[in-house]
Amino acid sequence: MTFSGVLSMGWKSTDGKRPPTLLVVSAAVVAFASLIPVGYLLIRSLGAGSDWIDIIWRANTAAVFGRTFLLIALVTVISVAVAVPVAWLTVKSNIPLRRVLSVASVLPLVMPSFVMATTVIEMYSPRGVLQGWLSGLGVTRLPDIYGLGGATLVLVLMTYPYVLLTVRGALRRMDPALEEAARAMGYGPIHTFRAVTLPLLRPAIAGGSLLVALYTLSDFGGVALLRYQTFTSTIMIQYQSSIDRTLAAVLSLVLVVIAVLLLLGEGFTRGSGAYHRSTVGAVRSPRRIDLGSWRWLGAAGVGLPVLIGLVIPVGVLVHWLVRGLLNDQQLLPLLIPALNSLYVSLLAAVVTVLAALPIAILAVRFRSGLSRFFERSIYIGFGLPGVVVALSLVFFGINVARPLYQSIWLLIFAYGVLFLPASVGALRSSLLQVNPRVEEAAQSLGRSQWRVIFSVTIPLVMPGALAGGAMVFLLTMKELPATLILSPIGYRTLSSSIWSAASEAFFAKTAAAALLLVVVAGIPTAYLTLRGHGDRADVSEKPLELKEVSR
Amino acid sequence: MRMPWQRKPVAAPIPSAAAAAAAALAIPPLASAETGVIHLQGVECRYPGSDDPVISDFNLLVRPGEFVSILGRSGAGKTTALRVVAGLEQVTDGYVRIGGQLVGSTFMHTPPDQRRIGLVFQDYALFPHLSVAKNVEFGLKDLPAEERSARIAPVLKMVGMSGYESRYVHELSGGQQQRVAIARALAPDPVALLLDEPFSNLDRQLRAALRRDIKKIVAESGATTLLVTHDREEALATSDRIAVMGGGGIEQIGTPEEVYENPVSAAVATLIGPCELIPGVFRGGVVVTEAGVFPTRITTDESIPDGRQVLALMRASELEIEAAREDEQRTATVEQREFEGEFSEYSIRLDSGTLIRVRRRAANGLGVGSRVRVQTRDESKVIVFPA
Repeated sequence: MTFSGVLSMGWKSTDGKRPPTLLVVSAAVVAFASLIPVGYLLIRSLGAGSDWIDIIWRANTAAVFGRTFLLIALVTVISVAVAVPVAWLTVKSNIPLRRVLSVASVLPLVMPSFVMATTVIEMYSPRGVLQGWLSGLGVTRLPDIYGLGGATLVLVLMTYPYVLLTVRGALRRMDPALEEAARAMGYGPIHTFRAVTLPLLRPAIAGGSLLVALYTLSDFGGVALLRYQTFTSTIMIQYQSSIDRTLAAVLSLVLVVIAVLLLLGEGFTRGSGAYHRSTVGAVRSPRRIDLGSWRWLGAAGVGLPVLIGLVIPVGVLVHWLVRGLLNDQQLLPLLIPALNSLYVSLLAAVVTVLAALPIAILAVRFRSGLSRFFERSIYIGFGLPGVVVALSLVFFGINVARPLYQSIWLLIFAYGVLFLPASVGALRSSLLQVNPRVEEAAQSLGRSQWRVIFSVTIPLVMPGALAGGAMVFLLTMKELPATLILSPIGYRTLSSSIWSAASEAFFAKTAAAALLLVVVAGIPTAYLTLRGHGDRADVSEKPLELKEVSR
Repeated sequence: MRMPWQRKPVAAPIPSAAAAAAAALAIPPLASAETGVIHLQGVECRYPGSDDPVISDFNLLVRPGEFVSILGRSGAGKTTALRVVAGLEQVTDGYVRIGGQLVGSTFMHTPPDQRRIGLVFQDYALFPHLSVAKNVEFGLKDLPAEERSARIAPVLKMVGMSGYESRYVHELSGGQQQRVAIARALAPDPVALLLDEPFSNLDRQLRAALRRDIKKIVAESGATTLLVTHDREEALATSDRIAVMGGGGIEQIGTPEEVYENPVSAAVATLIGPCELIPGVFRGGVVVTEAGVFPTRITTDESIPDGRQVLALMRASELEIEAAREDEQRTATVEQREFEGEFSEYSIRLDSGTLIRVRRRAANGLGVGSRVRVQTRDESKVIVFPA
């Protein structure tokens, strides 16, 4: 028997198919690479010996814990409270400008937290713009924006789209007959919502909430600018201020544990969700409920988060830019950071999608214990905060992969680990919609398994690959902690140069760079949101889904 | 002399029946009437982790140019048998030969891409990212470019899809997709054509029309064909021979007439035509049932001793009814009468509650509720199976 035969013997899939050896090998490499950060962190922390309890104690961990959980709870609850009504209004009601508002309500997704934070401070700080507007009413000082309040505001504005997307997806897929049946049995509209709609939405709400919680746990820029110390910002401070980085490593491991706990908490509702839509197009499009004259109020309700989360921040940036240009103020250099951002993000998108392909193909087409293990191991990036991955790769780079250290490849590696789940998710759902008979047909027409993957499978999952790539591009553009830690010295991207100016409170200087970042990040976001809004029910295209938006 | 811009003359792209037979003989050295184009011997196919094989002790020989249908209930393993031939499933026992060459056994498995089998899937499985022409061209990769393009047109013409070359799959109707799928499968000149429930996704009217068309196309191309279906009409109308599946293997194989006239088991009989089986006792060449006493014939290999419990096969076309006399025993009641033009079809309720159907030419008399005597028509005899 040949070498490859021996190699692939063990991984026959449950339906008896044998994947090409090269596919298995490349998936194994990707899965192994994804496990490096956590694995290395573990080794590193174990090196700290029994001191770690002492270390955790020294860092005043309990207080940070408390603050972090308070923030997570507040942000999650408020995001759900904002997103569920917005989702319902944009899918099920007849509010005016429904389609426009439907797209706009997702767009706050493009705002990086540190940019959102600068504009929030400008607007709502005790002597900010809002105070100026209200001074006529005798308001001389607004409550302090720094701390829990401000951090919650910034994070809610940024994360409610996660819940919105998952809930909206669930509402669209929901069979309207279920609600009609409840109505026919004598349930009023409100009773129907409580008894039928809400329970059916629960998994979607839980899934979206998980994303919100994980994001809140891992955010650095927003909470740091608003001076609210969470676990992540503590780690960053530790990393940047001390020479001994063991403490940062140990705290990172605690962060991993929190993330895993959050994932487990949500896991009960996620379970083995059915991805295959058994009957394509059989679900009728939902009947919209006529709100009568209330529909204008509904539109205003949907418009409010868009106003606060997108229009005002962009307005502030434009205002800064115009003022800066008029006063001939010095702005951040734009060209080099912009090109660097573009380069790094495109590279990350391409590398991540390529790495995701073998994992996704194996997971969907050749189901086995091994392919499930590969898929699970890349989902670790789903729960890992950027800080953790970056720190661990710093240690890894210094001690193991010296040539990679201080090169942009280590940075790309970090993005890959962080955003692989997003692209695997997109490819996976795209692959599930490809009829396996089509691949078998190609094989019966004389192409080997390997050539079928290239001539049939990959062309057919192109929409998924594009969506995954767009997602990774967007996430990379906005990413801050890993970018700060792993960028080679002197290598500036849009996000890192905005951050360094903003952290020294030169907010106005960031205007041009931040606007550019928002616009560039807006392109893939618009593509991703509009994808699901076509009139024809094209099965190969569907809107953003849970696993596609992981950060 | 041929100028450079002129096409290289190509052999008739779609072989006539004779040429196809010759081609089939040329590739597999051993293909002949004895070795068959497709030959399955004692084949068993079992999915990993499952104790029950989907098919077992499956034997089938398809000869060159033959059109064979596998008829069976859904879940009988028909499609698995087809996938075994195509190489999409591996066998766990037995031998699969194509053109006399061993392509599958417990220890070896030739992958589907090396079997030269044309496969038409139930849902067609056309490539949605390719045009009709590119779909047909897909299997011709080993030919030089100009031969490839020279081959597409005649194949599409044969299936009646000329002019659709640049269309995409979603722009075609179900019947058109079906035709393209057949063209795609035939284009590389396969050793055999496999059709998996090819008409099940089409509406009734289109189905009959397309069935005739495909029968013609296949005959024209001379391809050896194996069709899988659960539709008895389809199998009866298209095939040279029908293989009836049951219990994971083939229960009976023969020409449609043979199988219909002489089903070897009650299961085959119910699959091959509408009928009712009623219990009775076999006694000296006749069967005594509650519906009457009928002359019999035996089609199973098993011999049936006197006094044995049997099942009598009641087919509407072989039965007749007459008005019963007042004092007559073994009679039944007319429950329903449907006038269908050439004849009337009667539903007859036996006293035990079983319903049988009887056809009668005479349109008069015998209204609903009348007592009737059931008897065999003309000289026909009732087939009996051991109960």
